[in-house]
Amino acid sequence: MSQPLTQVLASAAFALAAAWLAYRQRLGLSRSLLTAALRAALQLAVVGALIALVFKVPVLAIAFVAIMVATASLTAGSRMRALPGSRKIAIGAIALPALSAVGLLLLVGAFSATPRATIPTAGILIGGAMLATTLTGRRLVDDLTGATDEIEARLALGDRARDALAPMTRRAIAGAMVPLVDQTRSAGLVTLPGTFVGLVLGGASPETAARVQLTVLLTLLLVQLLSALLTAELVTRAATLPGERVLRL
Amino acid sequence: MTGPHEQRVDGLAVRGLAVGHGERAVLRDIAFDAPKGTVTALVGPSGAGKSTLLRCLNRLLLPQAGRVLLDGADTAELEPCRLRRRVGLVGQIPVMLPGSVRDNLAYGLDPAPGGDALTTALGAAGLDAAFLDRPAAELSGGERARVALARALTRTPELLLLDEPTAALDAAAAHHIGATLTALAHDGLGIVVATHDLPFAAGVADRVVALRDGGAVVGEPQELLA
Repeated sequence: MSQPLTQVLASAAFALAAAWLAYRQRLGLSRSLLTAALRAALQLAVVGALIALVFKVPVLAIAFVAIMVATASLTAGSRMRALPGSRKIAIGAIALPALSAVGLLLLVGAFSATPRATIPTAGILIGGAMLATTLTGRRLVDDLTGATDEIEARLALGDRARDALAPMTRRAIAGAMVPLVDQTRSAGLVTLPGTFVGLVLGGASPETAARVQLTVLLTLLLVQLLSALLTAELVTRAATLPGERVLRL
Repeated sequence: MTGPHEQRVDGLAVRGLAVGHGERAVLRDIAFDAPKGTVTALVGPSGAGKSTLLRCLNRLLLPQAGRVLLDGADTAELEPCRLRRRVGLVGQIPVMLPGSVRDNLAYGLDPAPGGDALTTALGAAGLDAAFLDRPAAELSGGERARVALARALTRTPELLLLDEPTAALDAAAAHHIGATLTALAHDGLGIVVATHDLPFAAGVADRVVALRDGGAVVGEPQELLA
């Protein structure tokens, strides 16, 4: 059997085994496991074909990155749907830090300005920005829903709306950075991060893989922090009502 | 500004207040005075709009119509943060902020008040100075209610709004809070207390505002709470 075919069959077998196990344990999960696996297969097939096309027609890379930003913003925006203007908040908080970082890396020549280098780098940075935006926004929406007593207690003591929200935004930002900080700290020890694995599988030397992985991880530290800060700022503005009041969700 | 024939109230004056969520008016045409040095009890069944009305008095909630005057000045024209320090609110759930009781009492105050001011506020709420260094998170429900009251007092308000201050308390503690409110009013503070506890209201109130079917009936405690 050819290696590509074996890969497809082996991975399908693992997904089916997971669905079967979930069914036997009556977890009510098997259906979503299977649809998730199917979706991933379809999406990756389409993306593979698209990227092949982009490699041939480099100008399409811009459209490709735009689609990544739009998808990430829709996903993050839907996680804080209760807030007015959530989609705009997500677009700003994701696109600004992620795309600036991509531009800067290309400008200084850290990566070559080819679709082959740009698209995966942009993808990782946009994904990281989406994670930080989602975690920060979700936490703040929860606070605006569930911690109204605390917010109103601070307002009643004479706080401005911005000051009444500040302890919550600080907590949300710190919480949103935890996964990345852990990932960065344990890089190479607990897991081999995706970029490293991909490059090694693709034939790059472990040294090159480690260097590129480090570049991505350290860039993500600033990108995700900026996304979290921007999300907090934009949510604070959206939740601040005239007369130093705070929106109750 | 008050009308030409209307007397300026030293304290809060509510005039033609209407509050609603969307189309539905929860409260309409509410009018009463809450002068400094007196205790006004807001009574009515739960859901009658007592908390809603209290939150209009320090503009945590904006009314659909009508005005709330403080010493004759429309509160809509006052700076909101300044207004909320002059008209303190102790919510139904006494939220403790992080840190010690001292941190709670001094919260947001710059310059930080001296130890005497904190002890005085704590004493007025019925707690002794030993509480100052206790972590606020470790206090019991009754102690939290008192710290929340003391925290409002450190802002040296002219009026104090209290939402169901006896809800979490036993009869003895409720009696003590009642005596505290009476003493504070005697010292010149204006107090508006929302409560569903009619015996408590009868014990502390100089005047009663009864909310019923979205409107307000104002009267003496003996006529409305009999």
